[in-house]
Amino acid sequence: MTALRLVPVVLVALLLQLTLFVEVRVAGVAPELPALVAMLAGLLAGAHRGSLIAFVVGLAWDVYLSTPIGLAAASFALVAYAVGGVTEDLFHDTRIQTVAVVFLGTAASVTVYALLGGLLGQHGLIDDDLMGIVLLSSAMNAALALPTAPAVRWALALHPSRTRLRSVPAGPTAR
Amino acid sequence: MAVAQRSGRARYRLGLLILTALALLTLDFRGYGPLDTAQSRVRDLLQPVVSAVDVVLGPVAEVWTVMFSYNDLRDENAELRAEVDRLRTADIRQDAGSEAFARLLAATAVDYVDDVEVLAASVLRDSVGNFDDDVISIDVGRRDGVAPGMAVVTEAGLVGRVDAVDAALSTVTTISNPSLAVGVRLLDTGEVGLGHGVAGRPEQFVIDTGLRWPDTGDPAELPEVGSAVVTAAASRYPADIPVGRVVSVEPVEAGLVQMVTVELAADTRDLGYVSVLLQPPKDEPPVGPESPFPEGLR
Repeated sequence: MTALRLVPVVLVALLLQLTLFVEVRVAGVAPELPALVAMLAGLLAGAHRGSLIAFVVGLAWDVYLSTPIGLAAASFALVAYAVGGVTEDLFHDTRIQTVAVVFLGTAASVTVYALLGGLLGQHGLIDDDLMGIVLLSSAMNAALALPTAPAVRWALALHPSRTRLRSVPAGPTAR
Repeated sequence: MAVAQRSGRARYRLGLLILTALALLTLDFRGYGPLDTAQSRVRDLLQPVVSAVDVVLGPVAEVWTVMFSYNDLRDENAELRAEVDRLRTADIRQDAGSEAFARLLAATAVDYVDDVEVLAASVLRDSVGNFDDDVISIDVGRRDGVAPGMAVVTEAGLVGRVDAVDAALSTVTTISNPSLAVGVRLLDTGEVGLGHGVAGRPEQFVIDTGLRWPDTGDPAELPEVGSAVVTAAASRYPADIPVGRVVSVEPVEAGLVQMVTVELAADTRDLGYVSVLLQPPKDEPPVGPESPFPEGLR
């Protein structure tokens, strides 16, 4: 059920990225909606499920990128795992935390993506523009985090009063 | 205990995911056909939805463009670019008609680009990601006879190479991409070499392989600044497509090799329409002792 609910959320993020945010950019930089969904999955679903969801989102995004397939998937999975692990017991769930985690998670995922790509010999990922891309895309993702979080919560079948899936006792909805 | 178990399972799953990603990366680097086909099929499947959403959200994007990019200036800019392209092509074609060029062509017995069937295409979108500056999508694909490796040009010259081909659209890597090596011929000296784009400088192209610095050190043997550069007959692309003009020539590698900087003839930054040359692509560049290109960078 959760997987079915995730499909439209991921699809909408992908479609917006492929259409609207090809034109709507700030200083030539677009938000990274697939990374946004991946980071929210890590935050809300935890390291175990979040990393899998982030991997799938990254894989869908990879289909449209010019870099080799698997690069965004690996980057998103690694960072979502870290996001899920680090935030598990450290914070109370607040809006500020969501925004901050999305900002830092996006920055980390874009950086990891560029570094991994550079290691694999991909040109144009590590250059003078990298810092600007990391900061701007992270800031835009942070701005979009609060409107996007309810959609991801819905996809993860989270009860509105519970903000994290891992808080839910083991059962059909937590699977 | 439960936390440790959960943490262990998460690590195990992450390990599996990374292994899967590595496997996919390896297959991609090896050019595993079914993987490309699968990606192409997914894009084909989603393309109608992408197009529909694009139409719906087009006005929103247009408002943004009007607010921040000034449509009028863009149109005016496009007209100016087209005019500059026409002038550049006229100059290069004039050079191509010179006696030296005619001699070169006669010696190598290459075909003219004019003989190649041309398919016009419009540019659907620029890069989708934040790191794909040198990638464009065009509205022709398999059903139009396009295949990976075909050359993409404008009136001004070479724009790039078809990379991925879907049913109704294709992805083109532009010549400004540093990883796209192009075999070129310098009209002034007749030498051939390999060049590539320069990161962060979409108007520049550098030929840094295959051109030896003259033993005599005589500057007269170097290509003249302003002389034209075209695709070489032995390159992956049809011969004699204008690439650009020489801007500077410097010695590199202890003075043994020329590094020729070229200003690209075609502006790859704001393309509206392009043409695909429907000549069957050469999957691999020429190899063997007859190849004009050095080992390793063909």
